[in-house]
Amino acid sequence: MSLTLLALLVRAAGLTVAISGVSIALGLALGLFVSVASLSRRRLVSVPARVYVSFFRGVPLLVQLLLIYNLLPAAGIDVPGVVAAVVGLTLCTSAYQAENLRGGFLSVPRGLLEAADMAGLGAVQQFRRIRVPIAVALTLPTLVSEAIMILKASSLVSVVGVVELTRMAQDLASSTYRPLPMFATAGALYLAIDWTVAGLGHALERRARWGRA
Amino acid sequence: MTAPGESAAGGTALSVRGLVKRFGAHEVLSGIDLDVPAGRVTCLIGPSGSGKSTLLRCMAFLEEAGAGTILVGGEPLGFAETPQGRRRLPPARIRAVRASIGMVFQQFNLWPHMTALGNVTEALRVVRRMGRAEAEAKGLAQLRKVGLEDRAGHYPAQLSGGQQQRVAIARSLALEPRIMLFDEPTSSLDPELTGEVLDVMRGLAADGMTMVVVSHEIGFAASVGEQVAFLDGGRILLHGSPRDVFGKPRHPRLERFLDTYLDRGAAMLA
Amino acid sequence: MTVDWGLLAEKLPDVLAASGVTVAVWAASAVLGVALGAAVAVARRFGPRPVDLALKLFVEVLRGSPFLVQLFLLYFGGPFIGLSLDPIPAGLLALTLYGSAYYSEIVRAGFAAVPAGHVEAAACLGFTRAQTVLRIQVPEMAVLVLPALVNMTVLLLKETAVLSVITVPELTLEISAIGSETYRFVEALTLLALFYWGLVEACGGLGRLAEARLSRFRFAGP
Repeated sequence: MSLTLLALLVRAAGLTVAISGVSIALGLALGLFVSVASLSRRRLVSVPARVYVSFFRGVPLLVQLLLIYNLLPAAGIDVPGVVAAVVGLTLCTSAYQAENLRGGFLSVPRGLLEAADMAGLGAVQQFRRIRVPIAVALTLPTLVSEAIMILKASSLVSVVGVVELTRMAQDLASSTYRPLPMFATAGALYLAIDWTVAGLGHALERRARWGRA
Repeated sequence: MTAPGESAAGGTALSVRGLVKRFGAHEVLSGIDLDVPAGRVTCLIGPSGSGKSTLLRCMAFLEEAGAGTILVGGEPLGFAETPQGRRRLPPARIRAVRASIGMVFQQFNLWPHMTALGNVTEALRVVRRMGRAEAEAKGLAQLRKVGLEDRAGHYPAQLSGGQQQRVAIARSLALEPRIMLFDEPTSSLDPELTGEVLDVMRGLAADGMTMVVVSHEIGFAASVGEQVAFLDGGRILLHGSPRDVFGKPRHPRLERFLDTYLDRGAAMLA
Repeated sequence: MTVDWGLLAEKLPDVLAASGVTVAVWAASAVLGVALGAAVAVARRFGPRPVDLALKLFVEVLRGSPFLVQLFLLYFGGPFIGLSLDPIPAGLLALTLYGSAYYSEIVRAGFAAVPAGHVEAAACLGFTRAQTVLRIQVPEMAVLVLPALVNMTVLLLKETAVLSVITVPELTLEISAIGSETYRFVEALTLLALFYWGLVEACGGLGRLAEARLSRFRFAGP
């Protein structure tokens, strides 16, 4: 493997990290919104949220990506492939993160909210200061593994023409006729990224332990 | 002691009239009348399921009663009687009345992601919009009162149960309530840790705080309580000074209740 | 945008054949994946330390890299080391290996979740180690890991769509082909999405049913 080829792969890995990072962040925000909606007592709000979660968890990401990639132009929206990729990954991960956070919100002990009631905290203050931090901390391991899933799943955006790590490896494999080293290197780069994220996740989990052993 | 019906201004901090609470088909409180005298300690005792905790939680508006009224300093809590019937007050009114009530829970309910000081200053900062320095000075003063100034930076998980409960008391006191409610404050503590919490409560009583305490600590009720109410089956069965309630001859129901506790104590010694 | 139902009806036999491939590859990879995963978990738990470490690497590499890259490596890289596979066997092998890594972790967690006291009790009653594994640990663990097993198997179904990229004639490939042939891409993909959604929801429902039946004894007793 020449250094030039390696540099191309590493640069493409940068795009993989960027696409995944943006999608995870947007997906977390959207997932938070959807999870709150799914917990609403109004069925008009909670049922659509649950259907949303079920759909995006029930359809293969590849099919979602193909659909979005073809749907946007059909609806007259012309966007670059990268944007379609981020939209697809965001919608998909938001459904998983919503389901995850829903469980987190349900596990916040009632007593902590009663104490907040007695302290005079309003609904919005309780949400921001008590419910979100505790729900996120409780579900942090799942959030981290979901982030790693999205990093890996971002390889599928190669299919809709985004030249990220997998697509770059594919292009180089066919131009050099050496698929083995190209895909093996791509795989190793994914491993390096995932293991880094997992390490960061563990560090975060340690911080969110708040004195527990 | 204040008899029901007599409600001299300043004399009664909180009064309950005709309170009824149902959970489904089960009636937990069947018409409770009680006056809580200002500056005194009222103890609610009774077997589990008697409704004493539910009554206390109604006084904090953590449970909504189905009928009856609760007046806090003369102001209706949660519901008001109008010519059109009983109507729920707007949230802002409820918050305003509830601001004069502090609550201490059996499970402490400290927020685990905040330090002891963070727990005490949270409402000062977020609800009362106090600056950080002022809130922290006030929080530290409250922690000093419960003897935990040196634990200000500790998270709840790093504190013993007794220390956590004292932080919880400090958290309530920081908001300067006029009435403090205690829901079995020592029930989830190891026996050797109950003393430090009871000491703090004794100190508060000596300072003239109006307190309502649900507790199995009969000794505390007998020594500190100005007024004792014995609940059974959702009603106040006995009500008066500790001497009136605990003095012999005792009501057979109370006798049986006390026996259970004495038996439990004897079992612990055996 | 209108759906040309007649056109889709005309393609029905092809679609049915392709869904057959999807379901067959999925079922085969799930069964083989669980078997291989269980073997990996048992070897890691009871085998010597070097075996445990080697298998840990196998599991971590398969779990840490995208399935698509693994598939490319096997399908395009395989011939360079004398492993030339047709799309279907290549897809099946890749999916089985990928699934086995996740399944092995589920089984491992299952072993860990059975209380040590139950194993000790069996030993005291004179059970051999094999008897303890088969009669105590496996049944107890089956209930504990069922939700995770169902979850992973559903994930595997969705992963079969990726096999279209190496031209396995499964549903996603077939429907995409029909879509581009008829210029009805969005309609075709929508139906495809609904098919997967329905199948995934049905599996989830069956899983919950099985869980309810199997976990009867979990809440019995104190």
